[in-house]
Amino acid sequence: MDALEALAARLWPRSFQGAVPYLMLLPAVLVTGLLAIGLVQMADGSLRTLDTATFLPSEFYTLANFKRALTERLFFVVASRSLYGSLIVTVLTLLFAFPYSYVMVRTPSTVLRKVLLIALFLPFFIGQVVRAYGWLIILGNHGLVNEALGLVGVAPLRLLYNYPAVLFGLVQYMLPFAVLMLAPALTAIPEEIEAAAGSLGANWVKTFWYVVLPLARPGFIGAGLVVLTLSLTDFAMPAILGGGSQDFIANAIYDQFFRTSDQGMGSTLALLLVAVGSMLVGAVFALFGAGTLAMGGRK
Amino acid sequence: MTGARSKAVVLWTFVVIALVVLSAPTLVVLGASFTAGNMITFPPEGLSLKWYAAIAGASDLRDAFTRSVIVASICTALAIPSGTLAGIALSKYRVRFANSLQVYLLLPFTVPLIGSGIGLMLVFGEWGILGQLWPVGVACCVINLPFMIWAVTASASSLDPDLELAAANCGAPPLSTFLAVTVPAVTPGIITGALLMFILALNEFLVSLLLVDARIVTLPVQIYNSIRSIITPDLAAISVVFIAVAALAIALLDKLVGLDIFLKSK
Repeated sequence: MDALEALAARLWPRSFQGAVPYLMLLPAVLVTGLLAIGLVQMADGSLRTLDTATFLPSEFYTLANFKRALTERLFFVVASRSLYGSLIVTVLTLLFAFPYSYVMVRTPSTVLRKVLLIALFLPFFIGQVVRAYGWLIILGNHGLVNEALGLVGVAPLRLLYNYPAVLFGLVQYMLPFAVLMLAPALTAIPEEIEAAAGSLGANWVKTFWYVVLPLARPGFIGAGLVVLTLSLTDFAMPAILGGGSQDFIANAIYDQFFRTSDQGMGSTLALLLVAVGSMLVGAVFALFGAGTLAMGGRK
Repeated sequence: MTGARSKAVVLWTFVVIALVVLSAPTLVVLGASFTAGNMITFPPEGLSLKWYAAIAGASDLRDAFTRSVIVASICTALAIPSGTLAGIALSKYRVRFANSLQVYLLLPFTVPLIGSGIGLMLVFGEWGILGQLWPVGVACCVINLPFMIWAVTASASSLDPDLELAAANCGAPPLSTFLAVTVPAVTPGIITGALLMFILALNEFLVSLLLVDARIVTLPVQIYNSIRSIITPDLAAISVVFIAVAALAIALLDKLVGLDIFLKSK
């Protein structure tokens, strides 16, 4: 130990003290730097069109990809499908996340709280592919739901590979995120306030509408924006539950790289999505601070 | 008290639906893995462990699982030092440009996963290291590093700075102070963060899909490729591995820091 201290003192004399925190931050900065380099590469790629004669990216810079991305009908269809879908998913997710967080936060039973928390974390830790696989078993043509319907004499329904299936899968995927972002906001509301509203004659609907929901607003906006950006940019659910017919933006980007081999166009779409996503997340941070994701205790 | 009853009925209707929707895929995969039939049917054709025997003998699934574990280990091994040091630095020292640094370090969260995946694919392609396994582990570390930093800062901010001063005052040199006082104090955060990093990397699908080729598929990618053709019960059995790992991680997390920590308001 003494030898180590001596070595540390020699390598790092006291006069360098001020640099210590920056040195400690260096590895994380370098790791994240890979992502920054990636963004630069993407920007470079987006300015080159695919030369259909040689199948190589062009040598010169052009904005042609951006023009195509903003004018071509296919991209418009995919973008509006994703945007519209993620809006519906956000509303539905919040609708179910609020009662769930409310019961979880307010219940006096520690057992019930633990059950609700585990039910939340288990799917969160299992990953999207396995969950989507479960839905394929449940909703398939010979799946659980259709077999059950068959018993009561209902002809099999086509429950998979359509828009509602994708949205349903996304709501299930997003619920844990939304509940975990709403819960701290609800914990912050003192229970006495609700009791006060009740003793002043408000029924529970009025108490929710005029007291709880307004006070939980930061939680709602935070959760809403997280759900919106994550579902807008999702790949797995449209790919698996949509069966290729319900592509979202991420699927279109994937296809540009791996089907059409048009790296420039793929980079352009990815860059536009990054811009939209960052603006949404940036708006959350600007409005509410980084919240639970804030790093660093002292200000 | 009809008011209280109607409130309970309405709330519980939503909660029960949410519980069913959250748990259904997990339960169904568990059930399907024990079927005795060759197809997944309902009701199942009897119980058996034959699909577990089948995956134990299937080298492609086993190899994919091994690769996922390697990826998750590389990710965690990289995340622990870089995330811990950054977390301690951010919570203990007054750093210049702290706000810009935060925005920069949160980049993995603000950039959508498909964007990060494509960007890293381009970088690794440029460097000629695509097609190897270790860059996938590095990529998983890049996209989830904020979780690690967040977990460490959360426990570092509860460390009383006087403790370190006391150690120094008693004559402990800086390195000893760091190893004997600072690091033990943030250990719960390091464990939580490491656990999260490992689980998230083990499950990582999209970034893996972009970075692997047919020779080095990870398990989530392998399952994805298989369910697009035909759904066989061996996939359910291998998925149960994920469920078991997730359950283990939750149990550990609950024991080490308590799940209730996620309900606390700031």
